Amino acid sequence: MAMANHHPSNDFLMEHAAGTLPVAQAACISAHMNYCDRCRRAHDQMQNIGGAMLERMQPVPVAESVLEVVLARLNDPEPLRHQTAKAAVALPALLSRIINGDFSQLVWKRITRSLSISYLSTGDRDYEFALYRIAAGGRIPEHRHSGSEMTLVLEGGFSDSKGSYHPGDFIYRVADEKHAPVALDGEDCICLAVLDAPLRFTGWNYRWLNPFLQLRAS
Amino acid sequence: MVEEKSDNEVSAQRTPAWTVPTGRRTDEWSECLVHIGKSQDRAAFTRFFRHFAPLIKAFALAGSSLSATHADELVQEVMLKVWQKAGGFNPEKAAASTWIYTIARNCRTDMFRRLQKFDTQLAAEDLSIEVEGEEPFAVLHNRRGSDRVRDLMGQLPPDQAQILAKVYMEGKSHSEAALELDLPLGTVKSRVRLAIQKLQVQMDRQ
Repeated sequence: MAMANHHPSNDFLMEHAAGTLPVAQAACISAHMNYCDRCRRAHDQMQNIGGAMLERMQPVPVAESVLEVVLARLNDPEPLRHQTAKAAVALPALLSRIINGDFSQLVWKRITRSLSISYLSTGDRDYEFALYRIAAGGRIPEHRHSGSEMTLVLEGGFSDSKGSYHPGDFIYRVADEKHAPVALDGEDCICLAVLDAPLRFTGWNYRWLNPFLQLRAS
Repeated sequence: MVEEKSDNEVSAQRTPAWTVPTGRRTDEWSECLVHIGKSQDRAAFTRFFRHFAPLIKAFALAGSSLSATHADELVQEVMLKVWQKAGGFNPEKAAASTWIYTIARNCRTDMFRRLQKFDTQLAAEDLSIEVEGEEPFAVLHNRRGSDRVRDLMGQLPPDQAQILAKVYMEGKSHSEAALELDLPLGTVKSRVRLAIQKLQVQMDRQ
């Protein structure tokens, strides 16, 4: 498995461990941890903080009737829950297929000659959750983010002015950072991108693209 | 109901099976949980419930975002999950309190989403990362880290403990915590960073 070199911040790992991230962002961080043992270990420790805090809560009395209800329901059949392989870390079907590199059956929308986008639904209305496919060696026109963007490389790789990124690498860009990623040669690059506002292409000849790039979150 | 009560009385008279020494460092509730998983022992479960249910209820009510009725509902959901999942609990990988914390966190997230009619196919559990059984070193490392965090938690300065409580118990994001405490986001983040250092959580990933 690839070793990731670019990781989410400690703040993201803590917010994930505390369950406070929006579902689309949480899915992206989970997907990164699927590649990265170190982040998973750091995340384990972040969860330990939650356990230790829970132990120190001031207990609030629970009525005996609640215990009785629970005891009476212990033999109820357990709700069915699919068991997935270790590698998939129990992500539901579509996401787990994507994480495992199966990009079939996705609907790709062609944006430019080198860029196609497949919009996925997480139910999160505030964040767009999509796969970007950049053709080998292809360039995404320079753009600016009016919101934040999380990117996780799933296949191939890309580079921009700040570095080059490979499968498992996690990149976070805040609003108003401009960049122009170029896919590495030899292989199409597939990335998972979570945006909280649509991309804005800045080059004049790409401006007309913008209406197509509204948020597709849902 | 009658059956459970008698079960309970019996347990009070006999030596609990989960106190059998194992030679490795562990805590009472982890042993209890293992025992519940192995033997589906209702008396042990009742004991576990009496200890943790009031803590889960406190967690549910933290930030006063759920009503008392919903808090009791959350306690029920969490405790049923405890019963169902106890067999998969591995005390070498996680403390019982961390294990039940993650269950409570996921149940609360799903309950919030249900209450807000937020429609997603992803249950919080789907995005939850299981503690992995990798090399023994990593497991030991996490276990030690966990013990250390519990020992050091009481020594956190109040301003740092307050932020962690907002994040972990009330389920607030760093920016929500900043708003509620009327602090700049940068201050919240630096207190979080200091708390992590104090708890000797090793976050080096380079």
